[in-house]
Amino acid sequence: MLQAENVLFTIVLIGYFAATILNFAFVILKKEKIAKAALILQTVILVLHTAVLVLRGIGAKRWPMTNQYEFAVSFAWALCLVSLIFIRKYKFPVLGAFATPLILLMIGYASMQSREVRELMPSLRSSWLAFHVSTAIIAYGAFGVACVLSLIFLLRGRMKEDGFWDQHIPRPEKLDMISYRSVSLGMLFLTLTILTGAIWAEQAWGSYWSWDPKETWSLVTWIIYAIYLHLRLRRGWKGKAAAWFAVIGFVCVIFTYIGVNTFLPGIHSYA
Amino acid sequence: MKKIGRFLSSMPFAIGLLVLLAAICAVSSTITQGLSYETYAAQYGERTAGLILALRLDDAFHSWWFIGLSAVLCLNLLCCNLIRLPSLLRRSRAFTDAQRWAASGGGEAEAHGGEPMKLFKALGMPKAKETETPEGQKALFSVRHRAGLWGAWVCHLGILLLILGFALGQMTGQQFTLYALPGQTKPLGDTGLQVTVNDFRAELREDGSAEQFTADLTVTEPAAGTTENGAVSVNAPATLYGYKFFQNSYGWGADVRITKDGEPLQTEALCAGDFLPVKDKPELVIYFQAFYPDYVMIEGSGPSTQSMLLRNPAYLYQVYYQKQLLGMNVLQGDEKLTIDEYAVTFENPRNYTLLAVKRDHFTWLVLIGGVITLLGLVLAFYLRPAAVFAVQEADGEWRVYAQSVKGGVLFRETFEKAAGETGFMMKKDGDPG
Repeated sequence: MLQAENVLFTIVLIGYFAATILNFAFVILKKEKIAKAALILQTVILVLHTAVLVLRGIGAKRWPMTNQYEFAVSFAWALCLVSLIFIRKYKFPVLGAFATPLILLMIGYASMQSREVRELMPSLRSSWLAFHVSTAIIAYGAFGVACVLSLIFLLRGRMKEDGFWDQHIPRPEKLDMISYRSVSLGMLFLTLTILTGAIWAEQAWGSYWSWDPKETWSLVTWIIYAIYLHLRLRRGWKGKAAAWFAVIGFVCVIFTYIGVNTFLPGIHSYA
Repeated sequence: MKKIGRFLSSMPFAIGLLVLLAAICAVSSTITQGLSYETYAAQYGERTAGLILALRLDDAFHSWWFIGLSAVLCLNLLCCNLIRLPSLLRRSRAFTDAQRWAASGGGEAEAHGGEPMKLFKALGMPKAKETETPEGQKALFSVRHRAGLWGAWVCHLGILLLILGFALGQMTGQQFTLYALPGQTKPLGDTGLQVTVNDFRAELREDGSAEQFTADLTVTEPAAGTTENGAVSVNAPATLYGYKFFQNSYGWGADVRITKDGEPLQTEALCAGDFLPVKDKPELVIYFQAFYPDYVMIEGSGPSTQSMLLRNPAYLYQVYYQKQLLGMNVLQGDEKLTIDEYAVTFENPRNYTLLAVKRDHFTWLVLIGGVITLLGLVLAFYLRPAAVFAVQEADGEWRVYAQSVKGGVLFRETFEKAAGETGFMMKKDGDPG
């Protein structure tokens, strides 16, 4: 089972690389057919990516989201899923050109992690694991897409007048609105992550909040996005300033996921 | 007073406060909490160590300034909700007032055409109320998701309750840590309760990693002569006498036997980390520093264990006389330590349980606060209040106005699409009203 997962993982990795190249080709050659091919490819890879996670879960006999490798694979999966939903919902293929490099980076990071299946430590053997980590994955995926949308928003202001871009990138106010929708999704799921984590920590460690670095950085991330939501309500701050906060928020997400485990060990060090 | 209230509830003040809180949390998380001056000095240098202690950054999240800042945040949330409540109530009532919409005569999107109910249905608002404008024109009116107006307010309320519950729990709650070997009885802080660990099982897998830890407990209240029993596992706490017992960690212990001139003097069950004064010579102290179940000596790093399986037990000890260290070494298996007329042996190694015991009367308030916060976010993000008002003109044609509180440009697009599909013409900017 795990061998099949390894083969499929390699195919997925190559697939995301191909999708990134196709998306870049679409942006450079400005041909819509290429965008359609990239979108179809990304959808096919998502199906294979889902199969990787399912095989991992069956092979490990548990939810495949308990170590750096599994979380990175799941994170990339959520990025792909949320970006596809937003591409289709808002008819915005250029989003794929900016989102696929991020997915490729994440799946590349996963490929550098140990794929060894380890038994879970007692505190991780809880039904809360699935809720807590899956909500985090959705939240991170949504924040990733919001970051990409905000980067497009910021770059759009610097782009020269071009019929292609005008046709394929929404107006700034619509971009801002789509980014807001993505942050909203992420914020809701991050709140769920923090809440389910607190309930689980109360059961496992006897304390729902211990100011562990992972908890603290989840709170920092939550606050950054709360600032984003408040800024959008103020005249003059909506747009650029809010977009920067969406980017900073995603930097915090990445730090919470990778940086905290690397630099600030705590009770979440296995994650 | 009003001015102060307005300032405290203002958006720039809230944003400033949030930025400050995020920065403090981020910086504090990089400093290991609860260390001594010496440890900080070794890590960061004496000057920085002094600064860390002076600013209470060694216990930042319990410092007076962090608590003060959290209190100011609560005040900000409270003022914001109190000041906004009357206007929110008015806005909420006005949102469903057809006459107000009729009087305003406009919205962020406007179209004209023949069959308004088709447009209402296309917008997902199939139930429109029949009404009249002040001029007596026939009109239709529909609103949806009015509750969405309350999203931010409900969210603020939830956060307020959450912080309040956390603060009250910290102020009034009790927390203890207790470790004991099976068979040992220990007092639970100053509660008057006695905790006996009847049994402790560490279920290990073949590779030596832990699968589960379970402690069987009996808690006694000697004053009342009552007892309560329970089993505690990781992720499955037990509540006894109103205290919640959590299986937090485990360690190793053993029986320490001391003989004097070959005659038994004392036998005590000791956990690694415990001190044992010799019965008839208390200034002579045995310190059971560490236990290695599968002992191995690694050159350059010292004693260690290869696994958690009990294959080759060894005990690291220190001996003190009148608080002066006499010596330290490792005893393997049945080896004996001899100090003058005394002989010390370690035997029967076994696991002890480390329990966290807690009583917090306000956890429910934190949970309710969390659920309300979540509800507020759902209301704020996913219930987007919208109102659609249709007026029949003198020529029989219908003019439809629509307004969405949070939909913005995306609502306008939805309205345009629905209008196009139902045969309505959009009013463009510059068209006569």
